Amino acid sequence: MVDDEKIVSEDMGVQVEKNENMEMRSFGTVKRWATKRSLWMVHYCTGCGGIELAPLMTSRYDMERFGMHPMVTPRQSDVLLITGYVNIKTLKRIIRTYEQMPDPKYVIAFGSCPINGGPYWDSYATINHLDKYIPIDLYIAGCMPRPQSIVRAFEDLMDMIQDGTADGYMRYKKYYEPYKANQEKIFRKWW
Amino acid sequence: MSEQEIAERIAKFPGADVEVLRKGQIAVKVPAEKGHDAAAYLKKMGFAHLVAVEYVDWIKENEFELVYNLFSYKMKMRAFLKVRIPRDKPEYITFMDLWPIAMTHEREAHEMMGIVFRKNPNLTPFILEDWKNLPPMRKDFDSRKYVKDKYDSIPFAEGGEQ
Ligand code: SF4
Repeated sequence: MVDDEKIVSEDMGVQVEKNENMEMRSFGTVKRWATKRSLWMVHYCTGCGGIELAPLMTSRYDMERFGMHPMVTPRQSDVLLITGYVNIKTLKRIIRTYEQMPDPKYVIAFGSCPINGGPYWDSYATINHLDKYIPIDLYIAGCMPRPQSIVRAFEDLMDMIQDGTADGYMRYKKYYEPYKANQEKIFRKWW
Repeated sequence: MSEQEIAERIAKFPGADVEVLRKGQIAVKVPAEKGHDAAAYLKKMGFAHLVAVEYVDWIKENEFELVYNLFSYKMKMRAFLKVRIPRDKPEYITFMDLWPIAMTHEREAHEMMGIVFRKNPNLTPFILEDWKNLPPMRKDFDSRKYVKDKYDSIPFAEGGEQ
């Protein structure tokens, strides 16, 4: 098996190792190409954005032409789509969902709320930066983004998977302790 | 029946201060100790549906106001029964014997405002998660400070502290 850890982007401070074995390298390329053309998505519709997924999945925007399909269980999916504001209660469920997903896994945060709190930035109930608690590969800005932007985000995600820059799950492993510390800072008990 | 007629009927209740707000809305203010009797009186008059129990923090007057939002399907009219309780001793009696649903409304008022309803057996934590601060709907709860202390910082990806 080709080692995915070697394809970590350079701005992570991890050196990109040169894999001398050409055969293995091309195998990795093929594997990533296959991954990107068969993404299974679990969508966590926390906030207002879930409403945009209906036109996305049905005939109007038709997500299936990208080889994507919604999946009901996190254990069999690759992409976690978080659509909107996240409060403490849902954050616990999101972390649980995320940790159940097998590697490689990608997270797309949807809307301005997970980016910096959005209109709820001073609410006692919602968190501000989702990036502090789980790693995000891609943000879609907007309140709320239209299905076109989600389609665009999927295309970008596919490019990122192909060139190996969608490395959120590796970041989660690398910075596991600080992520956990951040999570524990706002939870009193887990369940 | 017009609002005026109904207001006059309500005003027969001793101590009630009745005011017609607009079409279909009547406000009834009573002293706190008469609140339960007034609610029973209104219910008998036809205001059979308890829509919500609202709560207002009058911080300058050092009082909480409870607003019982009642609706009558017969008269197509709303009555707001208002009582005031002291802020330092936020305690009131439950209306569960008149409307069983009051249990849930009072549970919310207890969580969001810290008002204790005597004889309500179910004042347990409700919507808030892991809460150990001042009740968040009180005016002296500083939401921005709370958010800053608890959630605010720069994400890792933008060079924040690790
Ligand atoms: S970004 Fe806007 S549309 Fe999305 S959850 Fe927040 S408030 Fe709602």
